[in-house]
Amino acid sequence: MKISENWLKKYIGFKLAPENLSERLLMLGLEVEAYEDLSEKYAGIVVGEVVEIQNHPNADRLTVCKVSTEDSIKQVVCGAPNVKIGQKVALALPGAIIPRNQHDKEGEPFRLESAKIRGVDSEGMMCSEAELDLGENAEGILVLDSSARVGDPVAKYIGKNDVIYEISVTPNRADCLSHIGVAREIGAIVNKKIKYPEIKLRESKESVAKYAKVEVLDTEKCPRYSARVIRNVKIGPSPKWLQDLLNSVGMRPINNVVDVTNFVLLEYGHPLHAFDYDKLSGHKIIVKTAKEGEQFLTLDGKQRTLNSDVLMICDAEKPVAIAGVMGGANTEISADTKNVLLESAYFSPPCIRRTSKYLGLSTEASYRFERGTDINITVETVNRAAQLIQELAGGEVLKGVIDVYPKKKKPAIVKVRVSRVNNIVGTALSKKEIVSLLKKIELPSKPVSRDEIIVEVPSFRNDIKEEIDIIEEVARLYGYNKIETKTHANIDFSFNVRKDTLENELREYLVGSGFNEILTISLQDEQSMSLTGDNPIRTLNPVSEEMSVLRPSLVLSAIKTVKSNLYHGIKHLRLFEIGNVFHLKDEQLRNSLDGYNEELHLLLILCGNYTPVTYGNSMRKVDILDIKGEVSALLSKFCLDNYRFIYYDTYKDIYEQVVTVEINNEYAGFFGKIVREISEKLDIEEPLYVCELKIDSIQKGWARERKFTVLPKYPSVLRDLALVVDITLPQEALEKVIWEAGKPLCKKVSLFDVYIGQQLGESKKSLAYNIEFRAEDHTLTDQEVDKVIEKIIEYAHRELNAVLRK
Amino acid sequence: MLDIIEKTREEFLNEVQQADTLQKLEQVRIKYLARNGIIASLFDKIKTIDVAERPSVGKVLNELRQSALKVYEERKSQIEKAAKPRELPFDITLPGRYKPIGTKHPITQVMEEIKDIFISMGFSVETGPEIESDYYNFEALNFPAEHPARDMQDTIFITDKILLRTHTSPVQIRVMEKRKPPVRAIMPGWVYRNEAVSARSLAAFHQIEGLYVDKGVTFSELKGTLVAFARQFYGSSIKYRFRPSFFPFTEPSAEMDISCYLCSGKGCRVCKFSGWLEILGAGMVHPNVFKAVGYDYEKYTGYAFGMGIERTALLRYGIDDIRILYENDVRFLKQF
Repeated sequence: MKISENWLKKYIGFKLAPENLSERLLMLGLEVEAYEDLSEKYAGIVVGEVVEIQNHPNADRLTVCKVSTEDSIKQVVCGAPNVKIGQKVALALPGAIIPRNQHDKEGEPFRLESAKIRGVDSEGMMCSEAELDLGENAEGILVLDSSARVGDPVAKYIGKNDVIYEISVTPNRADCLSHIGVAREIGAIVNKKIKYPEIKLRESKESVAKYAKVEVLDTEKCPRYSARVIRNVKIGPSPKWLQDLLNSVGMRPINNVVDVTNFVLLEYGHPLHAFDYDKLSGHKIIVKTAKEGEQFLTLDGKQRTLNSDVLMICDAEKPVAIAGVMGGANTEISADTKNVLLESAYFSPPCIRRTSKYLGLSTEASYRFERGTDINITVETVNRAAQLIQELAGGEVLKGVIDVYPKKKKPAIVKVRVSRVNNIVGTALSKKEIVSLLKKIELPSKPVSRDEIIVEVPSFRNDIKEEIDIIEEVARLYGYNKIETKTHANIDFSFNVRKDTLENELREYLVGSGFNEILTISLQDEQSMSLTGDNPIRTLNPVSEEMSVLRPSLVLSAIKTVKSNLYHGIKHLRLFEIGNVFHLKDEQLRNSLDGYNEELHLLLILCGNYTPVTYGNSMRKVDILDIKGEVSALLSKFCLDNYRFIYYDTYKDIYEQVVTVEINNEYAGFFGKIVREISEKLDIEEPLYVCELKIDSIQKGWARERKFTVLPKYPSVLRDLALVVDITLPQEALEKVIWEAGKPLCKKVSLFDVYIGQQLGESKKSLAYNIEFRAEDHTLTDQEVDKVIEKIIEYAHRELNAVLRK
Repeated sequence: MLDIIEKTREEFLNEVQQADTLQKLEQVRIKYLARNGIIASLFDKIKTIDVAERPSVGKVLNELRQSALKVYEERKSQIEKAAKPRELPFDITLPGRYKPIGTKHPITQVMEEIKDIFISMGFSVETGPEIESDYYNFEALNFPAEHPARDMQDTIFITDKILLRTHTSPVQIRVMEKRKPPVRAIMPGWVYRNEAVSARSLAAFHQIEGLYVDKGVTFSELKGTLVAFARQFYGSSIKYRFRPSFFPFTEPSAEMDISCYLCSGKGCRVCKFSGWLEILGAGMVHPNVFKAVGYDYEKYTGYAFGMGIERTALLRYGIDDIRILYENDVRFLKQF
């Protein structure tokens, strides 16, 4: 919102530089986003008086003028046809920046220098309206009012002697959406009461009651409607001061009557509307809700479709305005308007907000109504507008105000405990101090008991409803930065919850294992998220198609990350992500949180070479055993042996070589290879290996508390054993047999070689194991170990037809 | 016999010289020196000659065997030496072998640093869902329906009632529903806003929420805690200020600014020439929030605060486009 300093000064006197004022307002909670000193643009341009005009010796169209400034007389060569002796003009002195170059298409500003024009010295320039960037007129020089004082900065006389503040107002402070509102806050800064506008009306003898009627059918949505009628106005442009003022705060002047309603809007923060009285059928106002689907042409020329929730201002026959949002084209003030009906009403904020959202139409009026205006100033503002219309457009203000206000709003009375103020804020304020702080912003209060103060809240502060609201006022007026900064130690570990511990440990572990952490956004495109066969949750109002659904798995967003890295030539990737995935569990429960399932997952993805490309490392590409190894190592670290793999060796959705992971005998996730067709579809040539696990499952299997096991007292014996088996036999089967037959001395079985070769026979392979044997109570002898080995060989032969490799 | 021996010697020497691979040499060895090789058969023949000659012939034969063995060994090592590849001279400038080390995402790193500071002050870490109901995200936090305060946060909806949380504040409600005071917790996580993606904003980003409820918690305490945090995180020399603001779920509400640490408060592009950087929003928990979770708001008071993580990370690392954070380019990730 734009606020003019000159305008503010109508209500409150202050001498604060813009920088200081901004800072002080900020500290009260009104954020000044920027300010602009309009006069800066006119530095070096002063009021001059033309005292002499002579013909230019070398040019017919030019004159040589003498222009007096405060302390000297300047010679100026001038080309304007309208220059005359005695005129007050805008004289730019050398060094001034001329706001617009009227001889240049772009109109760029330029710096004026002393010059010789056709052989005659010129020490300045008399500016046109266009050159001052005030309008389009470039024909002649701008002639100022004869009262302008010679030597003064010209900004003063062209409506540019002002500072404009851009203030951002939080949604709770509707009262600050006006010059009076901001002035009240400044009053608190400079410790002065503000001066409200003096309203003097000359009413005619004719009573308004004879000319218009107002009927409010929906008093819930429109608790108050005030109106006045002004007859025989003369519609025309507003005077310059009003036009300048409106322009300076970014509002386009239209005509005197409309400009007055806008002026009052920006003065009080209360929106008004002016109707062409003669176009109001039956000279009647009826306030009621619209019919479903009804069409209405608003004064911006757009056809609007209404619903039955929208509150309308109607005449005896038709709707004439969307209440609190925008008037209709049918009763708009036009050049021919003679009689005006002025509306000043209060509409319920939720109603206006719904309408504005529904129509997608936010206006200065709706913005204020939906934040809450002051219900008790409808009459004051309609009077203020009537007064100004009378001053600017003439006319006769009919006697009296029509005021439909069935349920008068009582001022809120709020009880405040001094002890509570100090308990919340951490101060030691006295009753007296609190009363005097509140007085600064026109909140009258009086002590009623030792600890209590009663505050009668004026109707413009509709945000103050209860004690805590007053406490906030006290705190901000006292000054947040004066409140002591302290802490009192109160160490309490009775509920030392760390929801993120496992995540943190997983991250540490994975970083140590050479994985780079990625973070991808859960909102993804529907097409790729559907590849896993899931039905991803769609958002109602997507930011974009690229971000329209919630991902059901971390795999595809990770593949997209791989793809963009490959595109940048990064081919060897080890990535992980910890993030949420989302499913709709039950279509019936779409409107309840119970219908949704949100799970934190861990994803690993491998691509390219297993180890960095460097001397001494093998250039081996990753394969399924690499991802399996990573998963095994991770789960062994966190869950010891609380996990197992289930080998289906089959396809699932977009995966092949899929292995299911169970932790504590429950499904925990999987790992596998992305099928070639999917990779190809995504333009990825490298094979991709992924793993996705539920964090919650790892949490459940997490063997966080460890118990010490006594270290072995006796040494182990290591033996290698190579057995020849059928080529299709899974090694795990043989490993199990070794464990089984090796009991209880066998402590560790490690496969170290798989070999096929002619000597073994066509369909045979050799599996070589390193086996560790140990007894708990003595040192094993070779004979003992030989015996176990024999047993293993025999057992393996019996069970799996295995033979010792010779 | 001696002639035969000498002939054998000649032939042997000849063949040894001709053998140029270990394999060929081995064949020569087998031919002459094996258990049933030529030399061995000569020994056998000794039995057939005159007894008187036997010792001298035996001596010559022994000499032959020994010298043949010697020649053979010499030739063997000769061939081996020739066959062996040349050894590289030791070069310490060859790259060392290593296993790769990964990196944590910069957002994770900033988040962890912030969490660690609050954890050291006795805060727990709590989490909550990203899919939320209108109740937790707005209503319980004192955002009435149809209130313009809801416009402060553009919401992404799943249905009319179900949405993606716009801030981490709903976790406050969930934690208070679960626990009795005192409660002191931080709540990190993803949040979502319906905002166009640009260099400055993303539709999804991280926040961390803080909450402390107990007897006797004051605004003064809020300031104390947050100043302690800011000094630890941004440096002990920063200046700070608190200014009034508005959040429906806190009152009094405040925003905290610190002196811009890029320009030391002199004014620069990052702080928009104000010398100040806004780092967080905070305030005293609104009584209506306590009512929603069934806390006695006369007995307990509390403060809450929230801050965005991405902006902090951008400032810390000097990143000027927020989007690069979630492109996950490994060249980017490896910088942290």
